[in-house]
Amino acid sequence: MLERIKEIVAESLGTEAGTLTESTSFKEDLGADSLDLFEMVMALEEEFNVEIPTEDLEGIQTIGDVEAYIQNREK
Amino acid sequence: MKKVNSIVKAKDSVMKTKVTDLLDIQYPIIQGGMAWVAEHHLAAAVSEAGGFGIIGAANAPAQWVREQIRLAKEKTDKPFGVNVMLMSPYADEVAQVIAEEGVKAVTTGAGNPEKYMEMWKKAGIRVIPVVASVALAKRMERCGADAVVAEGCESGGHVGETTTMALVPQVADGVQIPVIAAGGIGDGRGIAAAFMLGAQAVQMGTCFVATTECQVHQNYKDMILKAKDIDTRVTGRTTGHPVRALRNQMTREYLKKEAEGAPFEELEQLTLGGLRRAVTEGDVKNGSVMSGQIAGLIKEEMSCKDLIQKLMKETETLLKGTAVYE
Repeated sequence: MLERIKEIVAESLGTEAGTLTESTSFKEDLGADSLDLFEMVMALEEEFNVEIPTEDLEGIQTIGDVEAYIQNREK
Repeated sequence: MKKVNSIVKAKDSVMKTKVTDLLDIQYPIIQGGMAWVAEHHLAAAVSEAGGFGIIGAANAPAQWVREQIRLAKEKTDKPFGVNVMLMSPYADEVAQVIAEEGVKAVTTGAGNPEKYMEMWKKAGIRVIPVVASVALAKRMERCGADAVVAEGCESGGHVGETTTMALVPQVADGVQIPVIAAGGIGDGRGIAAAFMLGAQAVQMGTCFVATTECQVHQNYKDMILKAKDIDTRVTGRTTGHPVRALRNQMTREYLKKEAEGAPFEELEQLTLGGLRRAVTEGDVKNGSVMSGQIAGLIKEEMSCKDLIQKLMKETETLLKGTAVYE
């Protein structure tokens, strides 16, 4: 799943999946603004068939956070 | 616009769209909820003229918003709205006051209004978020928005990255709810173009600053009236808070310091209270004279009624394909 997350993040934010790690931060490392983040979240929602409410977004800052969040939601 | 021989008499006409139905208005023209500028005199005048006036809550406390809503209701029986700036420290209270006082619609900026959606809907208020991307528009639609304002970066004040020409059709393709185009619309040609791009109404800001009912300092209006096509600048692109304003001493100094890599705090000092100073004191040298790129199209100050009539006449002439250019 991590690889797929990386691919989606890379595609949404215009970067290379190979450069991303679990600790890559969307805002600090990739310079994502709020519009970028919504773009990414919408793509993740579609891929993993989950709804990510806005209040949960604050806790999702890195690739690893996304993975943990989705795993948690799939349980 | 060059001389147009109009065959259409648009004076008493009504232009029905999904948005005029939604807001119960005569014309598909919405006045932007500009901070410090959009108070009750302006909003009531726009609504009274058949458009949709909006009070801009910006960073104002909830009590001010309550007073403004009540004052506007004394001036007009027609529907009007409030714009909520979601980053305001008073956003929660303002959202509550709007639900209590009741207005036709709320537009929202600078964030995501999801948490207030249910409260407003229960109060019978239409919710129309301002968006600058397709993804955000889709998200707003999913959480119950009645329409969205797709605002391109030609607009004044806080701006996104995408132009109206590019953004509106993409948002219109992305959502089922009606789209209202904003940014770069300064006359009937802009309105007609917005319809061609898939919008069901327009939101205009700068046009309404230069109206007789608008309470901004005369210096502010004069600067818009004198402005040419290339006179706006965007400050703060590097800080993540880009703002479009007419170029003056402040924008020159800001952009110079920004290019030199000055720290955020130093840059912020230059704009702190700048819009208020420009609007209320007429300090157009060091203040922040926010304006859209269409300022150069605005040549004279007129009443909201005359402006809306002029805009609709131009629009209908163009849309009916009866314009004859000489």
